[in-house]
Amino acid sequence: MRDSAAPCLSEMSTGMASSVLAEIGRMLDTLAGSDEPGSIDLRSLPLSDADRAQLEELLGRGEVSAELALAGDSEVWETTYPGVWWIRHRGAGGKIASEVISVCRIPEILMTHPADIEAAASRLREKLETTDV
Amino acid sequence: MSDKKTLGEMLTERGVSRRSFLKYASYTASILALPPTAATAIAQGIANARRQSVIWLSFQECTGCTESITRAHAPSIEDLIFDFISLDYHHTLQNASGHLAEEARMQAMKDNAGEYIVIVDGSVPLKDDGIYSTIAGITNLQMLEETCRDAFAVISVGSCATFGGIPGANPNPTGAVPVSDIITDKPVINISGCPPIPEAMTGTIAYLLSFGSVPELDHLGRPKAFFGEAIHDRCYRRPFYERGMFAKSFDDEGARQGWCLFEVGCKGPVSYNACATLKWNGGVSFPIQSGHGCLGCSEPGFWDMGGFYKPLSTAKGDPLQWAGGAAVAGAAIGAASAAIARNKRNKVMKEGK
Repeated sequence: MRDSAAPCLSEMSTGMASSVLAEIGRMLDTLAGSDEPGSIDLRSLPLSDADRAQLEELLGRGEVSAELALAGDSEVWETTYPGVWWIRHRGAGGKIASEVISVCRIPEILMTHPADIEAAASRLREKLETTDV
Repeated sequence: MSDKKTLGEMLTERGVSRRSFLKYASYTASILALPPTAATAIAQGIANARRQSVIWLSFQECTGCTESITRAHAPSIEDLIFDFISLDYHHTLQNASGHLAEEARMQAMKDNAGEYIVIVDGSVPLKDDGIYSTIAGITNLQMLEETCRDAFAVISVGSCATFGGIPGANPNPTGAVPVSDIITDKPVINISGCPPIPEAMTGTIAYLLSFGSVPELDHLGRPKAFFGEAIHDRCYRRPFYERGMFAKSFDDEGARQGWCLFEVGCKGPVSYNACATLKWNGGVSFPIQSGHGCLGCSEPGFWDMGGFYKPLSTAKGDPLQWAGGAAVAGAAIGAASAAIARNKRNKVMKEGK
């Protein structure tokens, strides 16, 4: 959410975007070399709105994107650099609750958890038993 | 009462997927300033935990802390915490009243002995045998001691419970004291503020649930994740402070341009809280962004620090000592008042006060 009440520095670029980009580059090298994933919490960094927009533009959007409807909306997309994912979770009032760059093969949040698979199998069994298909 | 199923089992039955846990964990890791990789451990910790029994005691308070934690937003990720806890006693929120309410407290204490968390808002009056605040025929002191006896941990929320707050301000007619003056045999986590930031309260509970231990605390018993930095350190107006550009009154050109509010009484340099990063009302704003200096409400004795509109360098009671000499850590350039404050801090430190 933009700072809007008082004049502030949110529109100034501070150069943080290129620093983050360099860190992503190092993580991507590690992923390529040893398959070890990495991540960066964007909310923990003093990014201005301009920095964030610049970083998003520099990374771009690649082939995969997903929308998640769980306790508020979430967006996940792979950037134009395969293996670099942008994960944005929204909370109350649509504000960003968590924003992470994940450098990995596939973000954990997109994978189905074994407990959910088990629950789904059970639910489907129940449906088959009670529904005349 | 607490459910014997794990939270994972309980919420799966209600159609809440593990992805929701992971989303909540990602949000929690972020507000707790933990690395994003901690999200998996948090999600697993919460899924394997039992629903946490919580007994909330309200003493000399205004209910602002409860208002803060139950903020009226649409159900979303931040509110999942309310699925993770069983609020077994809260005399403002619960349906039961009178004897039934007190029976609920006793039952929760019995069923969850050694495992429940006690949250306290409000200070405890000790003068004249604590007669100035009673609930169900007993004093706040009696209720606090009785309820905390078998608790796993105690969380004091708000500046009244953590430091005495407004009831404890001069002349403190009721002899109000903070919870930590009374409960000394188990962990007391202080989440100060008037009121505290909701995320600081829910994040701390989530940490207890996920890791089964108390988060790292500062010298005043506050979680470092939320109280580790001065508001001044993360304030977006800080660059104006560095350049010596100050609003001199609330309607001058400096105020209109969004310059630093140090000279109109901002206590940001000596106040440790997460207002500048987490903000308020769902992340909309915080006092300094709205044009008003920080009151320092998360610090001990904030009500008696000589005036909300007096600069730190002139307010009585030496507020620089108040915050352990942490004020004005940054280098002010060409700012007379900031230079005075810095000199004063150095003097305080030199004298070893």
